[in-house]
Amino acid sequence: MFDAKQFIEESVQLIRKEIKGNALIACSGGVDSTVAAVLVNKAIGEKLVALHVDTGLMRKNESQQVKKLIEELGLNLRFVDASERFLSALRGITDPEKKRKVIGELFIRIFEEIADEMGAKYLVQGTIAPDWIESGDKLRETIKSHHNVGGLPENIKLKIVEPLRDLYKDEVREIARELNIPISERQPFPGPGLAIRIIGEVTKEKVEIVRESCSIVEEEIEKAANLEIMVLPWQYFAVLLPLRTVGVHGDKRAYGYTIAVRAIQSVDAMSGAFSRVPYEILDKIATRITNTLGDKVTRVVYDITNKPPATIEWE
Amino acid sequence: MRNVKIYVIDNGGQWTHREWRVLKYLGVKTHIVPNTTPYDEIESAGIDGLVLSGGSPRIGLKDQLGRCGEYLEKGNFPILGICAGHQFIARYFGGEVKPALVPEFGKIELIVDGEHPLFDGVPDRSTAWASHNDEITRVPKNFEVLAHSEGCEVEAIAHKDKPIFGLQFHPEVEHTEFGVRIFKNFVKICKK
Repeated sequence: MFDAKQFIEESVQLIRKEIKGNALIACSGGVDSTVAAVLVNKAIGEKLVALHVDTGLMRKNESQQVKKLIEELGLNLRFVDASERFLSALRGITDPEKKRKVIGELFIRIFEEIADEMGAKYLVQGTIAPDWIESGDKLRETIKSHHNVGGLPENIKLKIVEPLRDLYKDEVREIARELNIPISERQPFPGPGLAIRIIGEVTKEKVEIVRESCSIVEEEIEKAANLEIMVLPWQYFAVLLPLRTVGVHGDKRAYGYTIAVRAIQSVDAMSGAFSRVPYEILDKIATRITNTLGDKVTRVVYDITNKPPATIEWE
Repeated sequence: MRNVKIYVIDNGGQWTHREWRVLKYLGVKTHIVPNTTPYDEIESAGIDGLVLSGGSPRIGLKDQLGRCGEYLEKGNFPILGICAGHQFIARYFGGEVKPALVPEFGKIELIVDGEHPLFDGVPDRSTAWASHNDEITRVPKNFEVLAHSEGCEVEAIAHKDKPIFGLQFHPEVEHTEFGVRIFKNFVKICKK
């Protein structure tokens, strides 16, 4: 079994040996990067800056919540709003791997800028096993380039430190519980954010649509899980498909996008079975999404593929 | 099981690291090593058993699997091949592997055919997770089939005289119901 206490002790020792001087951690506010931040903070204290970048691809009110969390944890917060930079870097890009690489590179450039300012030589990342496994290497095929591994540019000035590299999410959650981190049970959210929940080109309008849809899916599923109508899935979200279909809204023709709802059970993200979300919950989700988004979304579908053959996120 | 040492040969599978994790959780001393590692290095580590992981090479299309042939030839310890590792064992011992007419990705029903120490405590029918393009189409002479599924006739094989086993499905995956049990059984075989 996994011994979180022992891991924390050993990890703090190792980090102390590895990091000499100032360090920067890229903190998305997810379980992995937050746990990594707290561990490194335990090891080197004030010399660690926790940087949160608003990519403009975060979920509803997410960056605000993350800033609050980082401060509550007593970490040294630094915040950068880079939403315009990310959107313009993504303009015209439709290939999912290209998207991930553009985002991975821009993240690094921003980290380097901040590291320069504060004289930091180390970049801490919350990389866990599935990130490098799926990114591929000499022996392994690339399934998708995780922005923090396969999406990294070749020339990086910073030394990368990854204390959670050999762990899976369930183990990271155990550490989070041990460290009393309040978001220990938070569902995973990919580093490239909503960009990979928009199939095809990322535009401001599409980000708004998928952000609102994700928020509705989260609200309805969390409500149902709280009422014990269903088990809270490992991950649950919406994906915007660039496929337009016909609807009828108040006797008028509508021609809007399609939203796919994904909810999946997993323990470690390496295999998954789609969640049996009750029909009445799916019904509520579909009705709320189409009503809220008007003629922008005319159809909602539910994803019933397991992993494998599909992956959890669509890109 | 503190004193058992089992290495995992990395053939580039998505779940190689999961095999390592399951063994580690069972208290086994384990380590992932690339399939290019010379046999002598593995033997001198004093291992009690070896797992040949899966990977993307197409055994049904004559792809190679690093030095796995050497391990099968010289190894004097139990060997468990998984997915591509399982197919490679069959091909190495004179069987035949071909692209599956209908490949299996994800959920399957595993049907165990009779008793075997590797499947001790595993019911006749259970859920397992698979992910393969190729399959064994002819089992080598000295091997017996231990399990099948609706879509694949050879889900598990065992050598009749040596402790060499192959599994087409993935016992290391969380969604395989009795996966940990199968690993436990393999560890027990290695311990002897």
